[in-house]
Amino acid sequence: MQKSRILFSGTKLVAAVALAGAVAGTAHAADPKRGGTLTIVDTANPRHFNAAVQSGVATMVPGAQLFATLLRLDGQFKTHPYLATDWKIADDGLSVTLNLRKGAKFHDGHDITSADVAFSLKANRDNHPFKAMFAPLQEVETPTPNQVVLRLKQPHPALMLALTAPLSAIIPKHVYGDGQNIKKHPRNTKDVVGSGPFRLAAFKRREHIILERNDNYFMEGPYLDKIVMQNFGQVASQIIAMEQGKADMMHWSSSSRTLARLKKSKNLTVTSDHYVAIGPNNWIAFNLKQKQLSDVRVRQAIAYAVDRNFVTKALHGGFSKPSTGPIVPGTPYYTDAVELYDVDLAKANKILDDAGYGKGGDGMRFTLKVDYLPAAAIDENQKAIAEYLKPQLKKIGINVVVRVSPDFPTWSNYVRNWDFDMTMDVPFNWGDPVIGVHRTYLSNNIKKGVIWSNTQNYANSEVDAILAKAGVELDLDKRKGHYAKFQKILARDLPVYPVNVIAYHTVFNNKAVSGVPDTVWGTAHPLDRIYKLK
Amino acid sequence: MSEQHSSPNQAASAAFEAEIQMPSIEHPLREAARMFARNKAAVGGLILLIGILLLTLVVPFFYTVDPFDLVWAPLSPPGTENVPFGTDYLGRDILAGIVHGGRATLAVGGAAAILAVIIGLSVGSLAGYYGGWVDEVLMRITEFFQVLPTLLFAMVIVALFKPSVATVAFAIGVVSWTAVARLARSEFLRIRSLDYVKSARSIGSSNRRIIWLVILPNAMPPLMVQATLAVGGAILFEAGLSFLGLADPNVMSWGFMIGSSRDYLMDAWWTVTIPGIFIFLTVLAVSLIGDGLNDATNPKLRER
Repeated sequence: MQKSRILFSGTKLVAAVALAGAVAGTAHAADPKRGGTLTIVDTANPRHFNAAVQSGVATMVPGAQLFATLLRLDGQFKTHPYLATDWKIADDGLSVTLNLRKGAKFHDGHDITSADVAFSLKANRDNHPFKAMFAPLQEVETPTPNQVVLRLKQPHPALMLALTAPLSAIIPKHVYGDGQNIKKHPRNTKDVVGSGPFRLAAFKRREHIILERNDNYFMEGPYLDKIVMQNFGQVASQIIAMEQGKADMMHWSSSSRTLARLKKSKNLTVTSDHYVAIGPNNWIAFNLKQKQLSDVRVRQAIAYAVDRNFVTKALHGGFSKPSTGPIVPGTPYYTDAVELYDVDLAKANKILDDAGYGKGGDGMRFTLKVDYLPAAAIDENQKAIAEYLKPQLKKIGINVVVRVSPDFPTWSNYVRNWDFDMTMDVPFNWGDPVIGVHRTYLSNNIKKGVIWSNTQNYANSEVDAILAKAGVELDLDKRKGHYAKFQKILARDLPVYPVNVIAYHTVFNNKAVSGVPDTVWGTAHPLDRIYKLK
Repeated sequence: MSEQHSSPNQAASAAFEAEIQMPSIEHPLREAARMFARNKAAVGGLILLIGILLLTLVVPFFYTVDPFDLVWAPLSPPGTENVPFGTDYLGRDILAGIVHGGRATLAVGGAAAILAVIIGLSVGSLAGYYGGWVDEVLMRITEFFQVLPTLLFAMVIVALFKPSVATVAFAIGVVSWTAVARLARSEFLRIRSLDYVKSARSIGSSNRRIIWLVILPNAMPPLMVQATLAVGGAILFEAGLSFLGLADPNVMSWGFMIGSSRDYLMDAWWTVTIPGIFIFLTVLAVSLIGDGLNDATNPKLRER
């Protein structure tokens, strides 16, 4: 405890020095400067800000500014202290003890205590859409105001990651513990009280979110006085705002057109070095209840016909990456030692011939529908690839009919009720396979009516067994071994055919901004190290 | 001679005609055609439309590239080898899209216009002919459709069913019949009180006969113009719906080409501009013809 206090005052000293340097006008570019407003191109349309009970990037980014979490991640999936200064995982993996930072306060001046942490984690477990994050959490004990002990039903390797922003949030019990439904709590959008580097100054839906510096922040920073997350409207206006310097930063952008254009501007740096934990895995999902698609040979033939290189290079201009399996590249459990299905139309045709799907008079073997998730921002990943399948699978004698859903509920109704043949879809990895990967493949998650469950109706007892083991294995290397086996089987069985990983990019004005977070969560991470250059 | 005048009756009537020198009365259709032919813009429109019809109905038999096939590198500009009009974001041939996509566009335009005329004419003629409470009810219904934002309403219809050529044509027809109805009603109102209608009624003609054989032919000229303009409107509507993403992606059409490529306008103008030009030319041709018909059938403009 003594140590953390020294660290605390130490950071204050650094800030003071930086400030002095700025005043003297001799600040080196590498020294963070205090002050200024960061304007970010954003939709400014979160359902609300309470990241403890709500998922989605729109909530997560401002949520990570308003609410502190117990831990934070760096760019290599390594955990670092945040509200918790140190922690210990018991040898049996069934309990984790965390010590909380002393003197840390909420925006309204209340101390952050172990009671708040217990309340928050339970709220998260009981309300957050990512149920797997805290499902094994049985009890949160609070031996002292500055210590929590998490009791688990089973070892939970994803726990430490789940304790980082943006997957959890420490919310004040004295505000949210008043018995109201926490998912609809009025304080989720108004007078939000957290303990993060910024406090909520203003929120006008679809216009702006204005965040102001938390002067009593318990860590170093933040350097900015203000963050304005501004909705600039159409893509063209967003681009102009970046080019003209009206906005300093654009985040979560994956549009190859936008990125290619912004890349031409000298003042703008376009980077995708972070966001790796998000893992939007863009794939073709097969309904294994469909006659032809229930045959693994048909799925493999389709895999041989689809050209991932064409998609990532020609269609996405190099702004996305090929995906090779259920786990996205760049994350700890990824392996590319699997069947990669390099495009081979002759082989695909032969597989279908051998399987007995002869070509009819029109050169076609059978017809398959393909759906896609209707969302303008990811049209080049969903709509364009669905359209691409039509001419491409024609080459192997499969007649593809593209079915358009005018809105998300229409598409979701088709898919969750298994009323589809193939669909484009883009589930996210969310950092740990337990959170974002298992759900698609476990046979006990075949739940009609639930979107992003095992809607493919894939059931393989071997996979179930491997995932059960990997889900409770704390040893990194052993766990990697389980997932390597899992990825191999999946590449053979192909309940889904992963095409590409959407690469989120941050674009920032390199003349105006420095210290852009290079974490695995992108900007869904406390922006307490970012600063303005002028 | 003897063959031509095989019967004495005919010979007599010919002699009679020759004798009293009837003033030559031109057949009204022939007169309209002559008036139309005098209108250079209208003739230009007609030639343009014939050209477009040839392009969309005949040329596909000679230019057989599948408009959905990936034929060249995506976003190749016009003039690239093999793809004179360039390719879109997937590498589909724009020329093939133009050639093969026109049919669906014209079909939607035509079908929607026919639907609009059928609904509009039925509603308008009944309202105008019968008047009274029939008129009241039908006009309130018409007004209801008139005050709906048409594009939005069409979007709702297409979204409710799934986008296909038939639903798009249906949606456009359903939202654009009101103008025809209004016009048909006013024509019927005017004509039903004319003397020849009164005469028809006085000799005991049925309502049906009066509507179909007495009033309708006389109300036809302005309605034909309106119908022609409705075709142009429907094609634009189809493009609008497609632009908003409500086109059948399994049927190539000019509207679909524009709609699916709209995000690439900044980087690849040809993907949107070329089908846009063809839509523009088609609508222009139809409008010019409509104008020409209007002038040709309007007796007041005859001396111009």
